[in-house]
Amino acid sequence: MISITPKAQATGSETSFESKLDLTNLTPEQVALDINKLNLFYGKKQALNNISMSIPKGQVTAFIGPSGCGKSTLLRCINRMNDLVDDCHISGEINLHGNNIYNKHVDVAELRRKVGMVFQRPNPFPKTIYENVVYGLRIMGENNRRNLDEAVEKSLRSAALWNEVKDRLHESALGLSGGQQQRLVIARAIAIQPEVLLLDEPTSALDPISTLTIEELINDLKEQFTVVIVTHNMQQAARVSDQTAFMYMGDLIEYSDTNTLFTTPQKKKTEDYITGRYG
Amino acid sequence: MTTLISSNRSRGVKNSLARWFITLGGISVLFTLVLIFLYLLYVVKPVFESAEIENNVNISLQLVNSEKVLATGVDELQEVAYQINDAGTINFYHLKSSTKGVNKAFNLGDVALSQSLLESDDFAEKKITSIVDSFSENKLIHTVAGKTLLVAPSFFASYEKDIREIIPQVNYPLGQDALIIDEQEMPLSKLSFAMNDELIVFVGFTEDNRLIKTTYIAEDDFGSSNDGYDVEYETVFQEIDFEHHVDEVHVTPDLNLAFIRSDSTVYVYDLNEEYDAELKATITPTLKNSDTYLTSMALLSGSSSVLLGDSSGRVSQWFEVATDNGRQFKQIRTFETDNDNKLSNAITAIHTERFRKSFYTMTNSGLVNVFYTTSDAHLWQGQLVNAATEAFAIAPRSNGLITVSKDSANNINLQTFSVTNEHPEVTWQALWQEVWYEGYPEPDYVWQSTSGSDDFEGKFSLVPISFGTVKAALYAMLFAVPIALTAAIYTAYFMTPAMRKKVKPTIEMMEALPTVILGFLAGLWLAPIMEEYLPAIFLLFFFLPLATLITAFAWHNLPNEWKEKIPETLAPLLLIPVLVLAIYLAFSLSGVLESTLFQGDMRQYLTNDLGIDFDQRNALVVGLAMGFAVIPTIFSMAEDAIFSVPSHLTSGSLALGATQWQTLAKVVLLTASPGIFSAVMMGLGRAVGETMIVLMATGNTPILDWSIFQGMRTLAANIAVEMPESEVGSSHYRILFLAAFVLFIFTFIFNTIAEFVRQRLREKYSSM
Repeated sequence: MISITPKAQATGSETSFESKLDLTNLTPEQVALDINKLNLFYGKKQALNNISMSIPKGQVTAFIGPSGCGKSTLLRCINRMNDLVDDCHISGEINLHGNNIYNKHVDVAELRRKVGMVFQRPNPFPKTIYENVVYGLRIMGENNRRNLDEAVEKSLRSAALWNEVKDRLHESALGLSGGQQQRLVIARAIAIQPEVLLLDEPTSALDPISTLTIEELINDLKEQFTVVIVTHNMQQAARVSDQTAFMYMGDLIEYSDTNTLFTTPQKKKTEDYITGRYG
Repeated sequence: MTTLISSNRSRGVKNSLARWFITLGGISVLFTLVLIFLYLLYVVKPVFESAEIENNVNISLQLVNSEKVLATGVDELQEVAYQINDAGTINFYHLKSSTKGVNKAFNLGDVALSQSLLESDDFAEKKITSIVDSFSENKLIHTVAGKTLLVAPSFFASYEKDIREIIPQVNYPLGQDALIIDEQEMPLSKLSFAMNDELIVFVGFTEDNRLIKTTYIAEDDFGSSNDGYDVEYETVFQEIDFEHHVDEVHVTPDLNLAFIRSDSTVYVYDLNEEYDAELKATITPTLKNSDTYLTSMALLSGSSSVLLGDSSGRVSQWFEVATDNGRQFKQIRTFETDNDNKLSNAITAIHTERFRKSFYTMTNSGLVNVFYTTSDAHLWQGQLVNAATEAFAIAPRSNGLITVSKDSANNINLQTFSVTNEHPEVTWQALWQEVWYEGYPEPDYVWQSTSGSDDFEGKFSLVPISFGTVKAALYAMLFAVPIALTAAIYTAYFMTPAMRKKVKPTIEMMEALPTVILGFLAGLWLAPIMEEYLPAIFLLFFFLPLATLITAFAWHNLPNEWKEKIPETLAPLLLIPVLVLAIYLAFSLSGVLESTLFQGDMRQYLTNDLGIDFDQRNALVVGLAMGFAVIPTIFSMAEDAIFSVPSHLTSGSLALGATQWQTLAKVVLLTASPGIFSAVMMGLGRAVGETMIVLMATGNTPILDWSIFQGMRTLAANIAVEMPESEVGSSHYRILFLAAFVLFIFTFIFNTIAEFVRQRLREKYSSM
């Protein structure tokens, strides 16, 4: 038995009191993303079964579940990273501002600018710290030195990395520690001012101290962005998220505010999972 | 209780066996490499050594005091030497003691044969004034009374009882009776001659100051008998108008020219006309200062060059050069005798080797210098004997010297020297700098190692073949790099995995194609086609990319319903018919283009109107064929490099809103750059070392020309072509090894640069 529930209560309750939302009845203004009857197939194998959920704006939503449950797949659907996978077919829709991102007229690159993503392993480019942060801006054609400088400082400050790297902006990003690299990647993602930030197990490759720093950072980030995080660490989900979705075998089992999900799960499977009976 | 000692002994044995085996393998690879390197150096090294001369045998000659030695000589193996003295006697001496078992035992210095040459009744007064040498064993003996005799001291080997013994003998090619050279039978103060099978030309200066030319024309053949009794000939006497006195006369061995020195001027007469001799040129060398004058003259082997020695110790080489005003004698190079002693340096005699362009100079002070003309090499300087040299000769194989000298106590000594001077023609300058060869209008880089003629001098400049190597490699890379890299990018980054699984091994299979097949296809099939359809080849350079782009554009705008009918994997195959069509179109337009733009024949047009030489086997053919051979190497490595760019980097870039192209340009290529660079350098290394294709498709012309329509000869092909026909141990053989060494250095440099740059790139761009 793992004694996570009390902890989750302690952190979760603080936030949930202020912003407890009725996830089934959100007003359009409150919704950042609306996933509607989403099915995903890898070849003939179905990986997501008819998922429907609304992700509220300006909040942290966590996806949890055992390995292979489809939580990362669902996350990658939100910025269409699954397009790169061969034999991947998707039906259903995901609406961003009421527009289906799977509409064939959608420019995928433009979508990804609005929906940023941070991956499990820190993946800075083999360039300088500065060039890493401005990569997205340069891609968009921004070359004004002053704008870039400003964006670098702002993003690095937001990612709580500025003080550590301000003297070595023009050194290789590969010289940073794992935790710093992950924050750099976050800085890179937020430099282009996305609306949604997807975090795919952002701390799984990091040490506990770096993990803590990132978690604090996530808390700050929701001021500006809608954050969706996938984690296999239930304590982390409990600590950082406002809403939690529990997935199992490609199904969305339960989706509610974090406090409720961890304290009074409605479904047997959820309870079994959070009490550590499988996973 | 557990122990830390391994319970499994066989595992330990296996471990240490494996360790030793792998270490041994690694060390033996390194050892082999070093061994190859050392062996190359070992074979090449003698080429750069300078000459060595060592005293071998000294024989004290028993001569009557008044007798003077006029000529000397030795057999090819340096076992028997001879001297001819002014009393008309020739004596042969053994230069080594007999081996056991010979019929008649002898010791070093024993006389092998002694014979009087002037036996005939024609020679009343047996007193020789001069002996004239030619570039053969024949010597002309001239007596006080103006009688002349042609003798040929010669040697043959007998193998009685299986022991080799050199037997000397004297031949009289024109019989033992006196020959008539001057119609008026005056004694000659100067005399020179040269002969071939049909003709003997004598040029002499009589004591009553007439310059004469006498020609013997054989009825049959001078070479037909050794004793001369059968030879019948017709004699033509001539007198040449000449108003100066004569110091020296030389007739070239090819009987074409006579060089006549009078003080410091040399008059060149043309002897080609049987009944006439025409003044062809005069050579007046510019001397160091007004006190300097010419002291001697000699002909260089090969009858093209004349050497003039002066009183300051300088020797100048002259030969005919084609100029705007016809052929003229020019001073080509000079050789200085440097002497720190205050002794006189005046050249008293110049002796030239029979088959090579080496020559020995003698100075007043007894200093001997050895030079090689073409390579401008000063090979040796020193004192051979501490006495006045009476006679001097170079052994037939140029590996020995023989001198006869009289010391202060009037003892006459015959001495032989061994000469180690195998490769005088090779110097660093001759290999890498412009050399002025005989008959060439100016100094040039020439590789021409063999020829049909005996007088031929090997021309070993490594510049044209090194250049050819670089040229072939660059043209191949020009063709291969863009294709291989774009193919690698497409395959690794854009192609569907199913298609990639088929395409990559297929292209890699191309690497296994024997290059000899590519070579003969290029040389025998592609080259003639390219010559015939030259405009088509150039059209293809535009048509193929254009056709590809048009197809891509059309595909892009195709309605989706159509696209879906064709599986994604097969879509690129649509290009094949389009490309075939483009090729067909280019070839069918070729003729039209030729008749409208190039007056019917592009090849003719290039040569006649544009002045561009066209070889059928040219850099274009080699570029295509060798490019084809290099593409798989570059493709395979570059594809691996691009494919192994971690996907988290590409997804990182894509997730930031970059398009595929932006991701490719800014992340993928950057990260793969060390691998791509290695791939290109490996391709270059392969192109430099490639042999069969360049051997068969370049035409093997060692010329220095960047033109795409000209051939070339590469180091590798040169070795392959010439190694089988080069004599082991010869300069040619060693220079081919040097070429191999240069090739080794080439690839070594390329690989080192590649590795260095790759390391730097990897440090900078390596991904995690």
